[in-house]
Amino acid sequence: MIEVDGLTKRYGSTVAVQDLSFTVSAGRVTGFLGPNGAGKSTTMRVILGLVHPTSGTTSVLGSPYRELRQPEKRVGALLETFDAHPGRSGRSHLRVLALAGGIPRSRVEEVLALVELTGAGRRRVKGYSLGMRQRLGLAAALLGDPEVLVLDEPANGLDPQGIRWLRDFLRSLAAEGRTILVSSHVLAEVAQTVDDLVIIHRGKLVQQAAMAEVEAMAAKATTVRSPDAPRLATLLVAEGVDATVVADDRLSVHSPTERVGEVAAAHGIVLHELTAERASLEEVFLELTGEPGERGG
Amino acid sequence: MIRLYLAELLKLRTLRGTWGFVIVALGLAALFTAGGIGGASEQARLEPQYQFRLVLDIAFPTGILSLLLGIVLFTNEFRHGTIARTLLAAPRRWRLVVTKLLAGATTGTALEFVAFATTLAIVVIWLGALDVPLERGDLADGAGRALVGVILAGVLGAALGGAVHSQVGALVGALVWMFVVEPLCWVLLGLLDWDGAGDYLPAASLGGIIDSQDEGLPFAGSVGMTFAWIALLTVLALVRTGRRDIT
Repeated sequence: MIEVDGLTKRYGSTVAVQDLSFTVSAGRVTGFLGPNGAGKSTTMRVILGLVHPTSGTTSVLGSPYRELRQPEKRVGALLETFDAHPGRSGRSHLRVLALAGGIPRSRVEEVLALVELTGAGRRRVKGYSLGMRQRLGLAAALLGDPEVLVLDEPANGLDPQGIRWLRDFLRSLAAEGRTILVSSHVLAEVAQTVDDLVIIHRGKLVQQAAMAEVEAMAAKATTVRSPDAPRLATLLVAEGVDATVVADDRLSVHSPTERVGEVAAAHGIVLHELTAERASLEEVFLELTGEPGERGG
Repeated sequence: MIRLYLAELLKLRTLRGTWGFVIVALGLAALFTAGGIGGASEQARLEPQYQFRLVLDIAFPTGILSLLLGIVLFTNEFRHGTIARTLLAAPRRWRLVVTKLLAGATTGTALEFVAFATTLAIVVIWLGALDVPLERGDLADGAGRALVGVILAGVLGAALGGAVHSQVGALVGALVWMFVVEPLCWVLLGLLDWDGAGDYLPAASLGGIIDSQDEGLPFAGSVGMTFAWIALLTVLALVRTGRRDIT
């Protein structure tokens, strides 16, 4: 479990994070979302003891990160900035981390195989592509087989297969009861992976909710096309449903598709189309963060 | 702590730059020894303490290399952004500082070992060919004193790296201090009739350990003063590294 309580971080006059509180539960993948510059990386670095909070507290598995014994065995982290020496081979980089963290050397080969870098393990890191660097970072995060994973933009640089692998892998880790916090600035990127969402903007909490709740926010009107549209509209209104005739054969109904289908079937009305209109998750995200013009990628 | 220390040594072993320092130490030791033997007259080679001075003279370039490697082993973390990953394994930052100082001492030992082995090999072969008897006591005394000086140079470098963090800043600063600022201080102190005060400056203190002429502070005083400078820089390193946000 990860807890953030009343966290504020200021850099001079710039407020990076302001009175931020949220909890990340074990056994779930929690997406940490916000536009670039929202304060995600700062928050994660405070959680990991790399940045000193101005006020507030954070804890991982019940303790501040700095007080954890053998933290690399308990918490795996992937930071947005690449953190391997370019002159060292990928395998040597992991061996150094394993030695420092008290992790068996055999684990290095396991994680290299897991991220499909065994063949490149002897190459110096400066020759790695962006995707390979990201996979090496993931290998480092997984090295201690940790209970908690804190991953800052883990999909950066991964190809579609890599993203799919990451998604399935995170789901399987969460199913084992581990705590996973994954940041992203693109909701659609993590939508299929996460159970819960923490959305921040300009350092402040915008929303903490289950993914299902956010998906529900995306639901809009139901479009119905029927040769008997006016009668169906009358019946729906009689059932207390907000239905409007928008064309001779078309209705706009503010009700789930199931409800419309049931009413139509009960009265023998033919339907040619029954479509649930939805806002994209990205639209919901942009609406929540309130600045639709600023978003990129 | 032991794991962190071993990891520091593995970091050093797995970088080509470290081996570059070792090769340069070997080359300079060979060059200085060859110069010391080839440039000395037959009479000079038989003088008391000639072999003692020969060994100590090699400690000068080796000490500078040890100081620079000490700086590099700490500042590499900031130059290449590896400090975040290092601190994830060592979140109590004082441990990292102590580990780096120990690594600086170890690299100093390794560099002096390479330099002395090179010197000894040349001395044994060359002076043996000239029928100059080996003065084992002199060689051992010189090696011991050189070892102390080179080890402390490595520790001083690591402490300086921990206090400054910028690799270029620390390397350039150290060299400028040694070869420009401190000599200027000597001149100024001389003008003020405070000549002796210059012996307490960092480079003079460190140099006093490996000074075969014994011109400055005595050996024990030089060691003590160097420890004092190391202590000062270590406090700065602890404060600076402890407070820094790793962004």
